[in-house]
Amino acid sequence: MNLRELLKMALINIKGSKMRSLLTTLGIMIGIAAVIAVVAIGEGGRSALNTEVEKFGTNIFVIYVREELRPGDFQMIDVEVIKSAVPQVKYLAPQNNLSVKVRGPRKEINLGLTGTTSELADIRNIEMKSGRFINEDDQVNSRNVIVLEEDAARELFGTADPLGQQVSIEGDGALVVGVVRKVESKLDEGGSKTAYVPLSFTSHMRGIEMIYYLYGSATDKTAVDEAMNSSVKVLERRHQNPKHYSCESMQGNLRQINQILDIIGLIISSIAGISLLVGGIGVMNIMLVSVSDRTREIGIRMALGARRRDILIQFLVEAIVLCLIGGLLGTIIGYSGAFAVAKIADWPPLVSWKTIGLAFGFSTAVGLIFGVYPANRAARLDPIEALRRD
Amino acid sequence: MIKIEHLQKEYISGSIQVLALQGVSFTVETGQFVSIMGASGSGKSTLMNLLGLLDSPSQGSYCLDGIETSTLDEVGRARVRNQKIGFVFQAFNLLPRLSALENVELPMIYAGVKPAARREKALAALERLGLEDRFRHRPSELSGGQNQRVAIARALVNEPALILADEPTGALDTRNSEEIMEVFQELNRQGATIVLVTHEPDIARCSGRILRLSDGLLIADEAVQPPAAETRSLMPRADIREAVL
Repeated sequence: MNLRELLKMALINIKGSKMRSLLTTLGIMIGIAAVIAVVAIGEGGRSALNTEVEKFGTNIFVIYVREELRPGDFQMIDVEVIKSAVPQVKYLAPQNNLSVKVRGPRKEINLGLTGTTSELADIRNIEMKSGRFINEDDQVNSRNVIVLEEDAARELFGTADPLGQQVSIEGDGALVVGVVRKVESKLDEGGSKTAYVPLSFTSHMRGIEMIYYLYGSATDKTAVDEAMNSSVKVLERRHQNPKHYSCESMQGNLRQINQILDIIGLIISSIAGISLLVGGIGVMNIMLVSVSDRTREIGIRMALGARRRDILIQFLVEAIVLCLIGGLLGTIIGYSGAFAVAKIADWPPLVSWKTIGLAFGFSTAVGLIFGVYPANRAARLDPIEALRRD
Repeated sequence: MIKIEHLQKEYISGSIQVLALQGVSFTVETGQFVSIMGASGSGKSTLMNLLGLLDSPSQGSYCLDGIETSTLDEVGRARVRNQKIGFVFQAFNLLPRLSALENVELPMIYAGVKPAARREKALAALERLGLEDRFRHRPSELSGGQNQRVAIARALVNEPALILADEPTGALDTRNSEEIMEVFQELNRQGATIVLVTHEPDIARCSGRILRLSDGLLIADEAVQPPAAETRSLMPRADIREAVL
């Protein structure tokens, strides 16, 4: 009997008792649906997260102080020293944040003012809409210049071109030199509008140089840990203050999230595994019933020239086809579920061929494992006894 | 064709040994139509199972179409069943979920015949039995006589050396029995070798030779006198009986 014949026979017999077959495959269906959904949602979520993170720049890290920040914990000179001492650091920018009121020609708004240097643009992948970002000259000469984020610019200037215009930051005038695009991201808490000024400008405004943290990016994905840890060591040495500084990387956070996703996946996968196990036992049970129902058929087939092997394979194929049908339905259900979740969460539903292959592999394996016993029982029937059975 | 020597079969039923066949020998030539008769417990079913290679003998030899079968293993027996023997059963034993055509194709599937050739041969066999307009029907949609003809078509389709019929009219009414026996006689005239197991003398008389079994032994081997028209019909016999009474 070739495969075509075997599949045809299996389908005839499965179609012969549709309800029974459907109920039998339920366990397999649920198991496979769970696997597909978990993998698809997990992969989709992961890829969404990665895309979001890359919007903020790759290989980013941040260095901050563990407890209370004191003046002088970070100095401009630290930035230079770290950059020359740690080759893995590609860019490093000091940063502080002030909440200020800014007045433009249209109105006065609250802004989160970020005092920094030109390198932040490289670290954070800041994209200019018009004009330029703050540069080294601005910093060295403490120029009163400001770079607005596009929505802040719109509120302050309306449709008018803000470049070359003046705004007033709590009484200090500042020249608008650039407008940057806003990064649309689900990870951004949103809310406050942002503008960038040279760090030296904020020092001038507040009368003291305050750096809250250092933002950096590493030369390479694999160098992030090395870059930030070495930087922390440099700071500790320079300030003779061990354990005062700490660091974090986007990758580290991502790693943690991925670990949590892995654990969730593992839990659901074990539930899916149990479901497959129970489903497999169901398939075995129904195949045993089928063998006993069709004992006479087995006898007839043997009389007509079927070898024991032919009978074994026939019932094995039937069990596998049963499981594959369950697997197929499960894949459809699982994919639909993943698609719905992806639609709601707005990330790509990722069902790779690998996942589908996995589902069908699992179905086949379950059919094979739980089909062997009933099929073997069928094959070992005595043809005379089998023909005598009603 | 068939050469049987000292065929013995023992069963162990519980702790008791039962000798169902106690050494049976006979020969059937190609083209013969032989009936095996006997009461229940006579060993005729055991002999039938041995002739059909559904079972293997405890002792003795069984040579079918030049093949010594008593030493064959399971795979070898399956092959001989497939190639050399066509079974016709009392209960038709068609597969209920398959059409007449698919049922007839079944032995050829196990013989590895290609689908197109299979279909062609199965159709030819059904046509030979006058079922050319019934090949799509399932067994449940056919009468008993038609089902038995499908079963005969299935038995013929691999061109076996031996047609082995086990009470083939047992589930049929008189008219259908008659028809089926005519089919067997016609097949025999065309050259088929047929061994038929029955307990009905009227049926046995349709064949050319009757072997009688009792208690596992062959007790008689007699030729049937061919009384021309009469053996071909069962109905007149009933009429005669009525007339006598």
